[in-house]
Amino acid sequence: MSVNHLDSRGYNDDELMAVLLSREVRDGEISACGALSQLPATGLLLAKHTHAPDAELIILNTVFRPFHTSRQFHFLAQRGELGLFFVSGVQIDRRGNYNLHQLGEDPDHPTMRFPGGYGGGMIYYCARRTVVFRTEHTRRSLVEHCDFVSAAGATPPDVLRLGGPSKVVTPKATLGFDAVAGELRLESVHPGHTRDEVRANTGFDLGDTSTVPDTGAPTSEELRVLRTVVRPLMIETGTYARWAERAIAAG
Amino acid sequence: MGVPYVPVIGLVGTDLLARRDDMVVAPDPFGSGLKSVVARAMRPDVAVFHAQCADRAGNVSFGYHVEAVMLAEASAQVVVTVEEIVDRVTEKTADGAFLPSILVDAVVHAPFGAHPGGLTGRYPVDRDAMRAYAAAAQSDETFAAWLDEQVFGVEDHDDYVERFVPDAICGSGR
Repeated sequence: MSVNHLDSRGYNDDELMAVLLSREVRDGEISACGALSQLPATGLLLAKHTHAPDAELIILNTVFRPFHTSRQFHFLAQRGELGLFFVSGVQIDRRGNYNLHQLGEDPDHPTMRFPGGYGGGMIYYCARRTVVFRTEHTRRSLVEHCDFVSAAGATPPDVLRLGGPSKVVTPKATLGFDAVAGELRLESVHPGHTRDEVRANTGFDLGDTSTVPDTGAPTSEELRVLRTVVRPLMIETGTYARWAERAIAAG
Repeated sequence: MGVPYVPVIGLVGTDLLARRDDMVVAPDPFGSGLKSVVARAMRPDVAVFHAQCADRAGNVSFGYHVEAVMLAEASAQVVVTVEEIVDRVTEKTADGAFLPSILVDAVVHAPFGAHPGGLTGRYPVDRDAMRAYAAAAQSDETFAAWLDEQVFGVEDHDDYVERFVPDAICGSGR
């Protein structure tokens, strides 16, 4: 596969998303991501080497995981000790539901099946904050209703729930979850994109977006640490090493 | 665990829950006023695992960390197929997950028993075989043909290995 090239902004979409995900990590908290999660893994390591040196990281299936069994991870989350979790979904809808199972209007005859969300239907309710990331911002990925709800954004107030969705991050924009309304709202638009473009590529109505600000661009310091500290660290430790070589510019 | 059901945090509002009859939403019996999902215990009749090695008493070393012990504990019968039978496996000498013989009913010597899956440290996934399986699984007819060839059409495990495990994988496993 080809190496990602930097665009006119001086970075690429993978680098942008890794930086934006890193900003969600809070110092001193336990933050985690699941399997096949190169962007959050990068974001977690970047946070650790910038603003959150005392963050505790759990990056499943890499050297950055304190447990041998998923049971220990699940129980940690159920105890309410997991501050932040990163997850992705093939579809994300207005209500903050995500779909990792299947596409198609008739659930008994799906047009496409996915592996499903191991534990996601539980972690989404247990982690204090979950940031949903999606590398494609289109009307087919951000939809009015998910074809299949793998994890629900909101639940009735009489249901035991420790946390829920915080944000959705895509290559074009960040959407924040309004817990009172139980809906996603456009929070900021990334450099190089416009509010009109985001509206046109979102499968649900974003309401009045006239006052939505631009996302703060990756700083030179964030990009420096990403390229000269995190990239080599990922390559040395076998943490999505081939992806890091390709996606992140060499320092 | 041996209990008839357990509470689970999550799943409320999902299509997953809507399609399961072994999980329901129930109130906290201690009166918090909050509801959560309660899942009925699974008690499988038989659990079958593949592992790196076992001794003749049935002590098993998986060779990697896997959530097998809980499943073995829950199941009435436990059968373990292994790459290798060795003299003795103890908790100290086991690599990764360890299954004590008290939980194991039968051990079967079946080299390359994970195929077309891979076994950590021994041999990789057979990607060509996986692709063929995925293609065959697209319709009942092609899947039946796949079963006839790969499952019902072999005499025994040695015959399967001989016919379907490619040299590249046999070689890397020895």
